[in-house]
Amino acid sequence: MTVPTGEWTVERLNEALHAGENIFILDVRNRDEAEAAPIEGTKPLRSINVPYFEMLESSESFDFVESVKEAHDRGLMEGMPKDEPILAVCAKGDTSDFVVDALRPLGYDIRHLGGGTLAWGNHYELRTVTADEKLAVYQIQRLARGCLSHVAVSDGHGVVIDPLRHIDQYTELAEAEGFEITAVLDTHGHADHISGGRSLADRLDVPYFLHPYDGIHPLDVLPAEMEYEFLKEGWELAFGTATVRALHVPGHTLGNIVFHLDDRFLFTGDSIFIRSIARPDLGGKGETWAPIHYRSLSRLLELPDETLIMPGHFSGRAEANDAGQFAAPLGELRETNDGLQMVQKGEKPFVDYILGSLPKFPEEYIDIKRVNAGLLEPDEDEASELELGKNICALSQAYELVGAEAEASA
Amino acid sequence: MEMTFDKELDARGMNCPMPVVMARKEIMALEAGQILKITATDRGSIKDFQGWAKVAKDMELLDQQTVDENGTHLYIHYVKKGA
Repeated sequence: MTVPTGEWTVERLNEALHAGENIFILDVRNRDEAEAAPIEGTKPLRSINVPYFEMLESSESFDFVESVKEAHDRGLMEGMPKDEPILAVCAKGDTSDFVVDALRPLGYDIRHLGGGTLAWGNHYELRTVTADEKLAVYQIQRLARGCLSHVAVSDGHGVVIDPLRHIDQYTELAEAEGFEITAVLDTHGHADHISGGRSLADRLDVPYFLHPYDGIHPLDVLPAEMEYEFLKEGWELAFGTATVRALHVPGHTLGNIVFHLDDRFLFTGDSIFIRSIARPDLGGKGETWAPIHYRSLSRLLELPDETLIMPGHFSGRAEANDAGQFAAPLGELRETNDGLQMVQKGEKPFVDYILGSLPKFPEEYIDIKRVNAGLLEPDEDEASELELGKNICALSQAYELVGAEAEASA
Repeated sequence: MEMTFDKELDARGMNCPMPVVMARKEIMALEAGQILKITATDRGSIKDFQGWAKVAKDMELLDQQTVDENGTHLYIHYVKKGA
């Protein structure tokens, strides 16, 4: 496939962000979307938001390209550099294409993002964490949203943990690597993204596992309208020569599970992240659940130092290790993870800290939990809209920290 | 609930920015106080019409509705030409 000059694919954008290339973002989406879902790299990017309809309104022309030029001449794009690469972005990649047509002739080094922020939000990267004869572990990263899922494979049998909404990538990986997916697991009922769990299990005709407490919508107090097998403390599944075991760690949700694979890898879903820990308030009961969260995290801290933590989210790309994986040994996180540091100070300081660090509660999370319990069925556009923006499942300091560190290193 | 309107724009199948570009053109041709109904299939038009209404000089967004037509979602916007 040839890509037109003046267009970046999402893969090209990802390379640029990963490498810390210097790009200036001209975001022409409406202000709500630009604010909710900015493009973020390992270092902060300079950007301006000029909604396309504001360009139109600043002009008398009915020709969009002409009105972009007029908007430019009237100073709407003030601050946009002439001597640096610029990337124009919109929601789906049509409007930004016109913007490039208008601004290139004025001497700007500008291209646009093909497919727009919608395509970027749906872009996934695959990282191989380990691959030996007995066990392979893959991390699938939805970078724009900070969502992570994992696939563990042993002797031709694969288990998918926290599958994300676009499930083709799991069946494609299974085909490419020659294994069969035999079970689909969710660590919990997700609030920030639509799970691919039920749909992947349906497609493959394999069981889908979830803790039954998370089969109840916490705010609606309604039971899930979908089939699933019950997880519980001590549940085990052998596949190939490997075994995955469930630990019930309520706190982020009541049915929150982490999966321990061969006593080496711990898929922590929304409990321990790399820089932070999960918030306890998305079920609407933060004060009641925070002490439970404390006891669950204390229990996880008893695991051996060499346990490799593989979380369900990240807050910023700077959390990745040199291999581009979001993974770290528990012994290291004991020292570097702010939330785990607070756990080690005791219950009272922990609860005070966590209740003082709650980020905003995105309203759409209530509907996303409905979708994940089979209580609501969005179409593709509605699903994309529900999933707009980066997850906010960690405590707020995770985001502040990532921002501050990124600025310090810029 | 169906509102009364003076002119209609069928923006079905149009991608951004065309629903707003075309609506703006139609509004120019209206008399003050007249109402234009826009029917779009791009879900992004909901927030875009809201954002546009905030900065538009002579247009007011009266109502927005989502209608299911044989499994396709239609996003309907009613805008009034200002004085």
